[in-house]
Amino acid sequence: MTPVPESFAVRRSLFVGLSGLLTAAGLVLLLIGYSDQHLFWEDYVVIGVFPLLFSQIAIGFVLALIGFYDRLRGGDPYHLMRRPWRKNEATSPLAATAIVVPVYNEDVARVSAAIANMWRSLEQTGQIEHFDFYICSDSNDADHWVEEECAWLSLCEKLNAFGKIFYRKRRHAINGKSGNVADFCRRWGKRYRYMIVLDADSVMAGPTLVRMVRAMEANPEVGILQTQPYMVLGTSLFRRVLQFSSHVYGGLFSQGCSMAQMSSGSYWGHNAIIRVAPFIEFCDLPTLPVPDRGKRHVLSHDTVEAALMRRAGYEVWIAYDEPGSWEEGPPNLSDMLTRDRRWCAGNLQHFWFLFARGIEMGSRLQIWIGLMAYLCSPLWLIFLVAGSFSAYFRIRFLTLSADPEDLGAATASGGELLFIITLALLFTPRLLGILTNLPRARQFGGVFHLLISALLENLLSIVLAPVLMIFHTLFVTLTLLGLQIKWTTQNRADTGLSFTHCLKLYGWLTVLGVVTQWFATVYLGSASWWLAPIFAGWILAPVLAWATSLGGLGLEAKSWGLFLTPEEMQPPPELKGLDTSAEETTTPLWTDALLCPYVHAVHLSMVRHHPTGNSEAPSDSLVTLRERLLREGPRALNPKEKLRLLWDAETVFWLHQELWGRPSSELHPSWLPLLRSCSSSPLLSNYLVQA
Amino acid sequence: MELHMASIESARTFVDEKQAWNEAFDRLTEYLEGFALENRAHVSRMALEILDQARQLYRSDTSRSPVALTMELAQKRLADWLSTNLDPGTQSPSQILANGSVALLLSRVFRTAPDSFLAGPLPEELRQALREKLLVAGPDLNVSRMTPRHLDYGPMLGLARQTWHRWNIRALLVAILFWTGIYALFYWWLSNYFL
Repeated sequence: MTPVPESFAVRRSLFVGLSGLLTAAGLVLLLIGYSDQHLFWEDYVVIGVFPLLFSQIAIGFVLALIGFYDRLRGGDPYHLMRRPWRKNEATSPLAATAIVVPVYNEDVARVSAAIANMWRSLEQTGQIEHFDFYICSDSNDADHWVEEECAWLSLCEKLNAFGKIFYRKRRHAINGKSGNVADFCRRWGKRYRYMIVLDADSVMAGPTLVRMVRAMEANPEVGILQTQPYMVLGTSLFRRVLQFSSHVYGGLFSQGCSMAQMSSGSYWGHNAIIRVAPFIEFCDLPTLPVPDRGKRHVLSHDTVEAALMRRAGYEVWIAYDEPGSWEEGPPNLSDMLTRDRRWCAGNLQHFWFLFARGIEMGSRLQIWIGLMAYLCSPLWLIFLVAGSFSAYFRIRFLTLSADPEDLGAATASGGELLFIITLALLFTPRLLGILTNLPRARQFGGVFHLLISALLENLLSIVLAPVLMIFHTLFVTLTLLGLQIKWTTQNRADTGLSFTHCLKLYGWLTVLGVVTQWFATVYLGSASWWLAPIFAGWILAPVLAWATSLGGLGLEAKSWGLFLTPEEMQPPPELKGLDTSAEETTTPLWTDALLCPYVHAVHLSMVRHHPTGNSEAPSDSLVTLRERLLREGPRALNPKEKLRLLWDAETVFWLHQELWGRPSSELHPSWLPLLRSCSSSPLLSNYLVQA
Repeated sequence: MELHMASIESARTFVDEKQAWNEAFDRLTEYLEGFALENRAHVSRMALEILDQARQLYRSDTSRSPVALTMELAQKRLADWLSTNLDPGTQSPSQILANGSVALLLSRVFRTAPDSFLAGPLPEELRQALREKLLVAGPDLNVSRMTPRHLDYGPMLGLARQTWHRWNIRALLVAILFWTGIYALFYWWLSNYFL
């Protein structure tokens, strides 16, 4: 049963129409509140900003409502994953598929353990011969690079996967993750019909991977099939709360989004399968029409790639109820904000695509929702400031006029009703999320624990929202001012934040909260109580950031049965062994590529050699660098210099011979302990010479 | 006095040389231990053998440091031994050492046959295993051309034209009519019962 255009049009019109209707209703109520009153200029600001803000709440509500309806009726009969091909699924043939894992200075042991788990899970399906893994590294840290090489070799050996698991290190990490994936496509894309793009923290179950390939094989019109990844493996309170909310509410929104958008679904950049040929042909990211060359690259590639795939005539679907797709969330507020800063810059860039020719209406909607996700914060702040000033002037006006008729006009506002409706629109999706999960409450620790966890999660969301509002406003401002935002490694370890860090980063919010609350109490009187949750969020920000980052508190909550998720209650084999964070090593690992014979050999086998007899003399600067390393020790070089040495095979070989062959008097003293400890290198014990 | 000075100088040289040879021995042992051989006696035996060879060379050329001489001999011996057991073809010395050591690692010679390390040709079975252990970091390239397609970011007018062009006019009209009706009803309800 393929989707009929009428059904698509009806759904789209329902989604847009209902959202518009709710927004209009909200605006009418707001205007009623202002009827017969003198309007200050702040009121015009409030009236101008309100529809934009309210429309976002309305969109969220409508999506959740549609998702809830779809869940009640047992799923969308037109959905890709419910079509007749499922009847013969077990016998459907598969096609060559690459599983692409882009990495960038990640926890190497964690990434290789996830690949090993996915490999074993695929082996159990009996379809492993159709899949190859590609670890595509953009790591610019020498320690990570050398460790990745050893981990790759260890993986291949342990799983007997030589020729099936590949490692590629880019010399120039151009265009971040999208450039890394494009590099894979250019080199090996033709060998595969599909690629499954993962993030470094992604894990997918073998049966899910196989089913996705079959879905693509059965539906050649589909270009991208996105799964709904659920957050797992959190130990800090922050991460556990996030993964709880992703399980309780996330699926409902995705289901609503899928039902409303159908074949114009979202692509989130990972845990998705892509048809390689059209991706190569149509989805290379265009440069942005901005004058600054350094800012022409699209930072947030996924939404644009989905839009380009739709533009080329292929469908993009969300497989919202496929199990076996996981990711890890940010471990604390600071890391979430780091990630948000990057996403904010990317989403704001999408503005260009909003007006580009040939982009599907569904894609434009996705772009608009993504844009507003961040633009709402400054708008909300403007709304609050303008609303507070308006309230102040109104109170002052009433005090001065003391005319009972004026007072009557002001108090007969529709404000209370609007406030109640806003709260209903905000919290109904959450309520629906809880309702849909009640039948499987046992997977969340039982009904009582589910309800208490949901209540606490809501409280935390309420106090964190004003903090996010302020930071998102800053990010939007920084981006609009053209300040550079770099692609940084996502921290995936629940190691906790120090209270000093939290005070430095969030202390000013406490000051802001105290000062604004004082002003509000003095000038607005009892009306300031409406703003209490916002002040509370700001004042408590440092404590909240610090406390929620603690692993101990997260585990304590777990022992009380709070924020439990199905994966915690019944851990799937694919997540086994992934919850241990890497041990911090104080000794450098990259020097093992120069010292330790096996690590040195592995690294030399991976970098390009000059052909025999054609070896060019090293440049003067390289010769100087080599000598500096020997005379001043490994700490004397900066990260770029280390990488430069490691990229040159002849230099690595020469350094190996010199380090072992020079008397200690000709070497920097820091080399001597490294030479002595090379046989006990963690790279040998963890990867190459495991017991 | 001169005789005394000479004897002091000679004693100092002797002490320096002894220290240098001690360092050479330590360095060589540390290097060989890096191969993780599970027979430590064999490591010591090899170390002494290489050290003896180095001493002999040193007698004819005292300008080189014992550490340099010893380690050069050790690495040459390793390269020769790997060349004998592998079929290196036209590989450079660095490639022979790299590929050979990786093959050594993957065939687990350090665990299964540690006594044969640097000690003559390996049994044919092991040699065969060693030759098969080649690293393939990536398959053969199959290059595709991936370039961005032209995208007209267009003025707002162009956007409207393009988007509407792609719309199903009939569905759009029906939707507009339907929602106009709903909005009208909503307005009527507000005007009569609320305002």
